[in-house]
Amino acid sequence: MYGWNGKILVVDLSNKTLKTLTINENVLSEYMGGRGFGVKFLWELTNPTIDAYSADNVLVFAVGPLTSTLIPTTGRFTVTAKSPLTGGIFYSSCGGFFGFKLKNSGLDALVIKGRCEKPVYLQIDDETFQLKDATHLWGKTTKETIKILEEDLGKDYSFACIGPAGENLVRFACIRGGDGNFAGRGGLGAVMGSKKLKAIAVKGTRKTKIADEKSLTELMKKIRVRISWNPVLSKALAYYGTSALVNIINEHEILPTKNFQLSRFKDAEKISGEALREKIFVGRKSCYNCPVACKRVVKLENMKVEGPEFETLGSFGSMLMVNSLEAIVEINQLCNELGLDTISTGGTIACAMELSEKNVLDEKIGWGDVEKIKKLIVDIAYRKGLGDKLAEGSKIFSERIGFSDVSMQVKGLELPMYHPDGVLGQALAYTTSNRGGCHLNAYLISVEILGYPYLMDRFSPVNKPNIVAYLQNLAAVMDSMVICKFLGFEFDEETFAKLLVAVTGKPYTQESVVAAGERIWNLERVFNFKAGLKGEEDKLPSRFKVDVKPMLKEYYEVRGWKPDGFPSKNKLKNLGLKVEEDAVGSQGSL
Amino acid sequence: MPLVPKEVYEELKDYCSRLAQRGYVTAHGGNASIKAGNLMWITRHASSLEKLRFEDVIQVYLDKPSSFDALSSTETIVHRQIYLETPNLAVLHAHPPNSVALSFFMNEIIPLDTEGYYVLRKIPVVEGSPGSLELAKNVAEALKTHYAVVVRGHGVFSAAKYMDTAYQYLCMVEHSAKIIILTKNLEKAGFKFIQPKKF
Repeated sequence: MYGWNGKILVVDLSNKTLKTLTINENVLSEYMGGRGFGVKFLWELTNPTIDAYSADNVLVFAVGPLTSTLIPTTGRFTVTAKSPLTGGIFYSSCGGFFGFKLKNSGLDALVIKGRCEKPVYLQIDDETFQLKDATHLWGKTTKETIKILEEDLGKDYSFACIGPAGENLVRFACIRGGDGNFAGRGGLGAVMGSKKLKAIAVKGTRKTKIADEKSLTELMKKIRVRISWNPVLSKALAYYGTSALVNIINEHEILPTKNFQLSRFKDAEKISGEALREKIFVGRKSCYNCPVACKRVVKLENMKVEGPEFETLGSFGSMLMVNSLEAIVEINQLCNELGLDTISTGGTIACAMELSEKNVLDEKIGWGDVEKIKKLIVDIAYRKGLGDKLAEGSKIFSERIGFSDVSMQVKGLELPMYHPDGVLGQALAYTTSNRGGCHLNAYLISVEILGYPYLMDRFSPVNKPNIVAYLQNLAAVMDSMVICKFLGFEFDEETFAKLLVAVTGKPYTQESVVAAGERIWNLERVFNFKAGLKGEEDKLPSRFKVDVKPMLKEYYEVRGWKPDGFPSKNKLKNLGLKVEEDAVGSQGSL
Repeated sequence: MPLVPKEVYEELKDYCSRLAQRGYVTAHGGNASIKAGNLMWITRHASSLEKLRFEDVIQVYLDKPSSFDALSSTETIVHRQIYLETPNLAVLHAHPPNSVALSFFMNEIIPLDTEGYYVLRKIPVVEGSPGSLELAKNVAEALKTHYAVVVRGHGVFSAAKYMDTAYQYLCMVEHSAKIIILTKNLEKAGFKFIQPKKF
């Protein structure tokens, strides 16, 4: 078999069994891997109505057919489960080297079911798999956990682990996938915590088999040249990392500020990519086989740490009115070690700050109060005092005290750092994302602000539903192959189909690649409907002025969905999805 | 966005539109810039010169990169290098077909037509990948001593103090290239080439 290993490891934590299974060839072709495997396996194995923290929830760690090849950015992996934050299906993609090693171990996916009574970690060494006691790791930060595991097992392994936030079931706890990489969003770290799975250690020596080495080598030459020509990939991201966006987004007046009450931060320059480069930049770092190397290494007192990404600069900078770059670096470190998603943490604290300003909370939390922010972050991770309430996420927190309009989220997921009032397409993408308030399911900023592949009028709704649906399908494919979204600044299904053909030998075409994305998107949508996230949840917080309803209607039509937002029978049939409208998941076995 | 002066936009729009009308650029090809002090206003990456919009002009620095380089033309690095190494204040880049075709066969183009020869004398042909430092250095070096330069298989860069002069140089390069190709074709068809007595 080319591209894939064709094998998954199923771990049942409740009865401590581990077994490998072969994956059906049709599933490989139609769902590819990563996010596609995630939704396929969750649909097959779970009832969408289950509680995210129940033993019945399933965690899927998966790589794709392109993983661990010479193709840039192919060291990634995805994690999928039912999210405790949104209540829907949720995948999160993570860079680094863990995916590369998981693929080299001979597996395409890990399917983790059940729940342990005592903490464990999973060790994978080529074809040897075992669950090991993790009592000594429980309570440790992500950094401490990786350090201990490295000392115990050696540096040949890559690790995915959770911190105290995941152990304490914070609804937006993340999974650390190695040095400075995170499956950040949706609280998948808390799902790991609920299963008492502290970490996964993996190493492997296999190589991905390539169907047509010669074609792949030729394609790679062209890909590298095109990356070097692309200003975003070869200049901005390489020079500034994602922090390049701070000034760009602020100058377009869409940088969320003071919990989205404003869209321009007067001190943006102080926390910008330019400031980061000038004041604290030490070096660059890359994930497996990536020529872009967008990760920043910055100095913090006498330490070198991984620098904050754009989303973190916004979430703890403009959103909380913090204008100190050094303070944001410290806060970022704190979140990373405790295992918290920085966007949701910042968004939830911003919500609390606004409520405090309105005198709704007993506790005073002033805008820009860095010490208070740090204390709140620790309290969230350990669920102490107000932190315990905030650990539920801004939606649940604000609803419980009767001020739901102060939570800036869609479907429970705190919004990223693009104010929707100034980018109509992105507003529609937030509204319709299967993950909730997310920019990674369709990055309209690329066409509405950055001009890639060309600049669309950001204030016009014309053709936006079409573009949103297309980019959503494409994102689903990229997450299933599994590659970095940044490649989307230069490449599309034309290149992806050629790569898939060269690696797998399967007859992929541009059309079948986009169809795979559409299939994955629709199955996620079906899962969410069954889980209770219906069409009524396709909405933005009332704070925003943008009216998405006309675009939403058109979007449903473009998608081939019924007026209530559920895929039509024809659409499901055309995509080969056997879904009865009244069914609640397949609940079968693999 | 950093504010781009309206008159700068109008001037860029005018000359970009002329390049498009002449067929020197295709849909989203080519770029143009104007320098002022430490700033450069340059056309956006993948903007259409046929119909340049206000938001298609990006302000970047000359002496340092900025995050807005992500929005500006792939060739920003070349424009920047030209301004750093020469006293020019306006740069145009287009892909006129005769000049590009000729660049596959020559290391320098010497115009046969009187006007082209007197003004341009010689047009160097250089190499380099689009957006690369190598290209930037080669083009800037050539423009220290010439009004225009052809990048082999790619296009023409011209530079001057005034945008109108840069436009004139670029048009002359293409005109001279066309004359050479026509002349060669006529020779091939059996016509005898007669060198003007007073050239």
